[in-house]
Amino acid sequence: MTDNDNRPGALAGLWATLRQPSSKYSLLTIVVIAFFGGITFWGGFNTGMEATNSLEFCIGCHEMRDNVYQEYRKTIHYTNRTGVRAICSDCHVPKDWTHKMVRKIQASGEVWGKITGSISTPEKFEAKRLELAEHEWARMKANDSRECRNCHSFEGMDVEKQKLRGSKMHKIGIAEKKTCIDCHKGIAHTKPKGMKEDDDE
Amino acid sequence: MSKSIVPVAVAGILCALGSLAAVAAPDWSKVPKRDLHVFHAGVTPIEWATKKSDHSGSAGMRKGETCAGCHEEKGALNFNFKRLADKELEPKGAPKTMTFPLGFQAAYDKDNLYIRLSFKAPSGGADKGDKDNEVKATILFADAKVPQAAQYGCWQTCHTDARSMPGADDKKTKYTKEGAYELVQWASKGNKVSDGSVTTERKMSGGGTGAKAEASKSGDTYTVTFMRKNPGEGKALPFGIAIHADNSHGRFHHVSLGYTLGVGVNADISAAKF
Repeated sequence: MTDNDNRPGALAGLWATLRQPSSKYSLLTIVVIAFFGGITFWGGFNTGMEATNSLEFCIGCHEMRDNVYQEYRKTIHYTNRTGVRAICSDCHVPKDWTHKMVRKIQASGEVWGKITGSISTPEKFEAKRLELAEHEWARMKANDSRECRNCHSFEGMDVEKQKLRGSKMHKIGIAEKKTCIDCHKGIAHTKPKGMKEDDDE
Repeated sequence: MSKSIVPVAVAGILCALGSLAAVAAPDWSKVPKRDLHVFHAGVTPIEWATKKSDHSGSAGMRKGETCAGCHEEKGALNFNFKRLADKELEPKGAPKTMTFPLGFQAAYDKDNLYIRLSFKAPSGGADKGDKDNEVKATILFADAKVPQAAQYGCWQTCHTDARSMPGADDKKTKYTKEGAYELVQWASKGNKVSDGSVTTERKMSGGGTGAKAEASKSGDTYTVTFMRKNPGEGKALPFGIAIHADNSHGRFHHVSLGYTLGVGVNADISAAKF
């Protein structure tokens, strides 16, 4: 007999054990353990999820800390007169659970980028800046700038109270059903060189 | 010798007085003054201004909005001057004064159009490419064939490949792709007046405006008065102004946005009839 011969039997045994009613623990004990175990697991999972949404986590790698973070620190989303700050995840991670999970799974691909050092130097980052930005712009365009709209909305916007150029442009944006990222590329980071012109004029 | 000099000198004085009399014809105290603002525009040629990824306001321009319609607010310009002074839009270095006011008056009679500019030319420029002239004042008037001239002012002559733009040919002057501009300029050295044009290239002479100018400096305020032929009553002339201060040259000027000057018609600014 080899190990391979034993493996199906072991799995079948485990499955059979799992399906067997408990003769040792009461149903109440199992329910209580499952309840608190569930809370612990879910709490831990969400805590871990939230930890990866923190600014500190995002700039834990030098690729973000030395490049996009430094640019963002000079913008209104970092410092402004009201003291309301939008951190990385506010713009780049959806709030609702389903979309957040999808985004987190997608973002796990960035681990591979970290391992391979695809943006490990300023030169490499600049070389990839346009491609990275285009991915994010496409995501924002596709979801109607959902993360922007967590804080900003045309419905809540009084364009008459805005400065002249913002007021005029927002009136055009509303009339033409534009989405935030159509005009606000580069609002928190340096615009890449070689940007393509949009086709949706 | 002295006998030959005297008539020439007298003739010169008479010509100068005649010129001064013509230029100074309007009673400027009765002509409304409007404060325009000129600014250092950096590397923002028409290609930049109309490119959406560079200038989101280009969407407004395509809708017929004027530059001043968005950027002139509460009696000043609302540009992001920090951005205009940044390396991306001003790789050579921005002047210390990014914008300053310029008093603008205009009047006309049946023969001539008179324009008076008054301003304090700032020092602290980043470029001193014109060793001869401390200050120059230029006005461009667009003809009807320049596309969107009433919206864009001088920007239709300002191109990314024109001299003093980064990497551009030093011999390539400003130009238009369509239509033409009349160019009148006063330069401080010798009070030189140029009557030129901008078409496929800029020419500093051969213009048809019959431009004359006089200038004075009181304290640190320059007053430059231009006289040119009346373009015809009932016209609204698109125009723009450039001030080259502190010996600057090429694109290192302070420019106005585009406006229209009404001669007998309502426009952004209407010339007074006298």
